Formats: sequence, structure tokens, C-alpha cells
Amino acid sequence: MSLPAPLPDLRDAPLLERPWVTIVWDDPVNLMSYVSYVFRSYFGISAEKADRLMLQVHNTGRAVVATGNREEMERHVEAMHDYGLWATLAKADE
Amino acid sequence: MRFARDASGAVSALLFPAEVDLLRVTVSQLLELLGAAGSHALGASADPAVRRLLPDAYPGDAEAAAEFRRFTADGLIDRKELNARAVLASLGDEPADDSDDERNDDDPPVTIVLDDAAVQSWLRTLTDLRLTLAERLEITADGVQHLDAEEAPFLASVYDWLGMVQESLVYAIDV
Repeated sequence: MSLPAPLPDLRDAPLLERPWVTIVWDDPVNLMSYVSYVFRSYFGISAEKADRLMLQVHNTGRAVVATGNREEMERHVEAMHDYGLWATLAKADE
Repeated sequence: MRFARDASGAVSALLFPAEVDLLRVTVSQLLELLGAAGSHALGASADPAVRRLLPDAYPGDAEAAAEFRRFTADGLIDRKELNARAVLASLGDEPADDSDDERNDDDPPVTIVLDDAAVQSWLRTLTDLRLTLAERLEITADGVQHLDAEEAPFLASVYDWLGMVQESLVYAIDV
């Protein structure tokens, strides 16, 4: 027997809001090896995934590199600017 | 000048005197640019190089972009300046201006060794230098250079050289 779990308080949880995304844009300056290194070392992803994201930036002009709440995405964008990458944030699917 | 990881695991490079001079001059100019940018941090700068170093975080929303800039620009500029100063520091002491024996190309090359923090400063400063030079060279999104001026070939060769140095550093730390 068990008691039903109490309902979580959803009033402050933005469950139904679209999340935000961090977008990295292609530029003619940054080296492919460097961009891949930044993705790998900052986001802690595998070399394969970092290369895939880097190639997506290179080939299509941009890639979504992170999804989450707005504050998190602002931190990522600032970190990308620290590295010299051209990054912006937007609501997902904008 | 090429960075490599030696047998002990240290990241080092051999620099000729002309390379040390070139790095000192370009990094000092970057520091001047960043120093001048500081006063414009709250608004977008008129200098395209500064706008590229501190791009709009919200391209379609001027108000949010200004807000982001207000909270991040000073810190970003401070860190870019710290990185540039760390690069200058790793180049060693500047020769005294009043020395009567001017540096000449026969001077022996020097080896510099970077610790982990210095590697991060070099990676970022080399990027900032290349982003700035690319704006001066009027390199467009397709990678084509449009600057047609007397100094263009020299700037282009510095830009390419910095890219080679950075590539060697990325490969040196890539384990």
C-alpha cells in the first residue's frame, strides 16, 4: 500500500514554455579544429559529437549547441563569446 | 613558430626574435582596442571589430541585446584583456628601449613553455587577434578578403601566420 504522491507545485515551473537554445553561427575566421575543441572542452561532449556540431555550423551556417532555460543559455552564449565564437540565443523553433 | 607537446607533456614553442616582436605589437594593439571598447560597452561599438568581439546575443531584440551587454560586456572585456596580458607575459621581458645593441635577426630563438592557464589565454587571444584582423582585411562571410590597400598583403600574412600558430596549439593540446 502506498500513499499517492503529492502533486508538485507547478505554478513556478515553466513546463509549458518553449525552452531557449544557444546557437553558434558560422564565421569565416575561426578554425574548424578550434571550434570543435571549444564544443568538446566547454560542453564536455565526445569528439565525434563535437565534430558533428562543428560540421553542422560549417555546412549549414549554424547549429543549436544547447537547449534549456534562458539563464543557462545566457551563460553559454557569454562563454562562447569568451572563446571568440559567434553565438546568440533564441526561443526554440524561432 | 609552432606549438608542440614535448616528451614531458609541456606545451612549448620556439620563437624567433621577429616573431616575438610581431606578437608584442599585435597583442599590444589588441589591448588598445579593448581599452577603447570599454567605454562603449553599454552600447554597440562603432568599430566592427569590437562588435564582432562582443556580438549581439539577441539579434532580433535590441532591448534584450542591450540588457545582455550591460551584464556581460565589462566582464568579457576584462577577461580578454587578462588573456592578452598573459600572452605578453609569456613572451618574456621586453628589451629596454635605450639599449644600444638593437635586436637583430641573428639573435637566437627563445623557447616559451605554456601552463594550462596560459594555453587558454593564448587560444582566446589568438582568436581575438584573428577576428580583429579579419575585420580590418574586410573578410566577408564567404572568406574572401576585400581590403585593397598597401598594407593588405602584410596584414594577410600576419592573419595566416596567427592561424597556423593557433592550429598548432589546438593540435598540441588535443590528446
